[in-house]
Amino acid sequence: MKQLFNILFLTTVLAMSATTVLQAQNFKLPAYQKFTLKNGLTVYLMEQKEVPMISVSAIFPAGAIFDGEKAGLASLTAAALQHGTASYSKQELDQQIDFIGASINSYANKEYAGLSSSFASKDMEKMLAILNEVLTAPRFDTAEFAKEKKRALIRLEQQKESPRSVIGSYFDKFLYGEHVYGNIVSGTPASVQPLSVADIRAFYASHYIPNGSAIAIAGDFDAKQMKALVTKAFAGWKKGPAVSDANAKSAIAKPSGNRVLLVNKNDARETTFYIGAPGISRNNPDYIAIDVINTLLGGRFTSMLNDELRVNSGLTYGARSSFSTLKYGGGFAISTFTATENTEAAIDKSLEVLNRLHAQGVTEESLTSAKNYVKGQFPPDFETSRQLASLMTQMFWYGFNESFINNFQANVDGLTLEKARQIIQTYFPKDKLQFILVGKSEEIKKLAEKYGPVTEVQITGEKKAF
Amino acid sequence: MKKIWTGLLLLCASVAQAQLKADEVQSFTLANGMKFLVVEDFSIPNANMYLFYRVGSRNEYQGITGLSHFFEHMMFNGAKKYGPKMFDRTMEFNGGANNAYTREDVTVYTNWFPASATEVIFDLEADRISSLTIDPKVVESERGVVISERSTGLENSPYRVLFEAVQGQAFAEHPYHWPVIGYLDDMKNWKQEDLERYFKTYYAPNNCVVVMSGAVKFADVKAMAEKYLGPIPAQPAPPAVHIKEPKQTGEKRITVQKQVANPYLSIAWHTPEAKHPDYYALSLLSDLLTQGQSSRLYSLLVDQKQLATSVFARYEESFDPTLFSITATASRGVKTEDIEKEIYAALESIKKEGVTERELEKVKNAKLIEFYRQIETINGKSNNIGTYEVFFGDYKKLFDAPSLYNKVTIEDIKRVAAEYFTKPNRTVGVLAAKVDD
Repeated sequence: MKQLFNILFLTTVLAMSATTVLQAQNFKLPAYQKFTLKNGLTVYLMEQKEVPMISVSAIFPAGAIFDGEKAGLASLTAAALQHGTASYSKQELDQQIDFIGASINSYANKEYAGLSSSFASKDMEKMLAILNEVLTAPRFDTAEFAKEKKRALIRLEQQKESPRSVIGSYFDKFLYGEHVYGNIVSGTPASVQPLSVADIRAFYASHYIPNGSAIAIAGDFDAKQMKALVTKAFAGWKKGPAVSDANAKSAIAKPSGNRVLLVNKNDARETTFYIGAPGISRNNPDYIAIDVINTLLGGRFTSMLNDELRVNSGLTYGARSSFSTLKYGGGFAISTFTATENTEAAIDKSLEVLNRLHAQGVTEESLTSAKNYVKGQFPPDFETSRQLASLMTQMFWYGFNESFINNFQANVDGLTLEKARQIIQTYFPKDKLQFILVGKSEEIKKLAEKYGPVTEVQITGEKKAF
Repeated sequence: MKKIWTGLLLLCASVAQAQLKADEVQSFTLANGMKFLVVEDFSIPNANMYLFYRVGSRNEYQGITGLSHFFEHMMFNGAKKYGPKMFDRTMEFNGGANNAYTREDVTVYTNWFPASATEVIFDLEADRISSLTIDPKVVESERGVVISERSTGLENSPYRVLFEAVQGQAFAEHPYHWPVIGYLDDMKNWKQEDLERYFKTYYAPNNCVVVMSGAVKFADVKAMAEKYLGPIPAQPAPPAVHIKEPKQTGEKRITVQKQVANPYLSIAWHTPEAKHPDYYALSLLSDLLTQGQSSRLYSLLVDQKQLATSVFARYEESFDPTLFSITATASRGVKTEDIEKEIYAALESIKKEGVTERELEKVKNAKLIEFYRQIETINGKSNNIGTYEVFFGDYKKLFDAPSLYNKVTIEDIKRVAAEYFTKPNRTVGVLAAKVDD
């Protein structure tokens, strides 16, 4: 492959291309309705008729920020929703879903839990009934939970075989420290081991409530009929005390200087690294402008980072930068990997590029290019019913609406050189950098000390606060 | 139709609402042999161009392994009009993005762009296909990139290490023997003349199928194709790959060491290529075994017996006879031999008793849903239309696939299981931390 990943950065960005045929057209998100049931559940419906399929996305205040001392609890609770319901055992549920080619996936991430489902339009009534049971009457079978936990523990061990799989959670722990945004979604072996069905029942009862949650449905259906079906299906879901996210709102400690976390992996032949700093929250008013600038720094193939580390020097297969945004904060990171012996060269070049962004800024031409790129690459991100259903639950969670989408192009176009300069100054780090290096400590520890005080841990060990 | 447009586009919208049908794929072939397949789809203001070259690691030999993939990289490194870096810079300036992938049989270049940039994309492609520059300095720097690509794959994925070992063992003579990425020593040794010969032989218009989907008009595509790509001369047909893998006559086994928590197991059987009539039954059998948690092997190995934490079957389209593999990750303390026995028992049961009507119907339903998902996006359309054209011999087979799957009977499933899943036909690979006992 030419590139490892399609470089995606900020997840919910929308644009329309300035085509000669289409530029006069007024781009808008397709029509949708939004309403709230008596129990507080917010519902979004959007008709999309390209294929006879329906996609569902649901979102709940049940992410890892609510784990407390029990890291991994939110994640296991989400997985356990699929362990059977009042009417179906897990095996019966799997058979029902598989037989009609449908899919259900439940998961937790840092802030929220989610469920996505996809099925043929003709199975709409059957699947709504199943989804309702999965969400409101899960069985939480003890034997199934034991199996799930065992698999989760093995997965945690397996992740340590791949630097790329673990570096993100080390980064979050290092950057956010004791703040709940440092919580590790999958937990750690020591935190997952003691979890029981009683724990997930309690977590479910307090966090899977209709008030504070939303369900979005997009696809080939009649909205009027769907509204009646959804209203009926979820009417019986009991309201609960609102979930407070005060812990996520609490202040995030800012780093006071450069620091290095060195994660030793004895058999590593390359060093995988992040160079990071505090970032922005999803509702930052400069979100789109930051996205455009990051596109230039490390958000596409010709970006400054990829150009220097890959194209000019052949040090790596790919180098990038990204902002990960949450409700009340976020992180920024440059990320790449290189052969062990090239570690220092790759880190130095990354820092050189970051310094160049500050020293030289961007030109009129490069800014135009980034704007065109961001606008041109937008529409395929919102092409399918699955993407649109997911967008609507994101709108619910982060509190934005279609104006973000409908004004996107104007906002991109409005970014001037002067504003770009301010954006770089304000949001892209210069110092107090946080380095995470996963590699062979014996060979890279000494050079790591050049970048800041080094804390060394073993990839085989537990992830704690650093 | 995905977005609400006003005016003119609403007319297009009602056309785009209908699901894709075979007759919506329009086609023409340039005088130089370059074939085009075009789908007009105005659901988003974007379009794509997928170029399928019939060249991959299958066309290599020992000494130049990995060259097809390396060439994929070199196609982005400058030509006559657009010099070094200018292909990507020009494309991105115009709002486009690209990628490419190399497999055993094909190398595919993918461009995604706002429809307004269509002509620029034609100009870029024409430039590199007609007059690529192979600068020795750039070759050296790009060599480092693909060596890093190889290394990071092996570093992060035990599966990759295991698959390479199994494939190398299962194919003794046919070029599917070596990995697409190549051998490290060959990677360090590719020569300028190898690259030049490769370009002339395989990057000929008559060795390429181009698929475009999106907000473009067929007539415009045709005019641009004639203008930009028409003048590129055809080349003699590339040499045929004449090696056929001899029939395997006994079980092969291989063990590889990597620092992993629990062992990985992969079993592969020689099975036919995409154009073979058994393709459809084997593909359904793959789903019966591991698609979804109610599938035979998932429910047996992961759910009931908890011997494995994951299991999946892989059977992909290919030009020449290929492998059908089943791969499992052992649970803690479980021996791969025990997983192996259970897999063989499950296959024996299918050979003898077949599967239930309901099970077969289940996987057929899933195939239909998969088909809808494949044609839901303009990128899915282009990739699938091109894949069917080059692997199955005709893009129309994409639209026949649902009915071809529907025709498969329980007897067919039993027959293919009995024919291919035999002991002498299999290669068994184990990857583990400890291999000395």
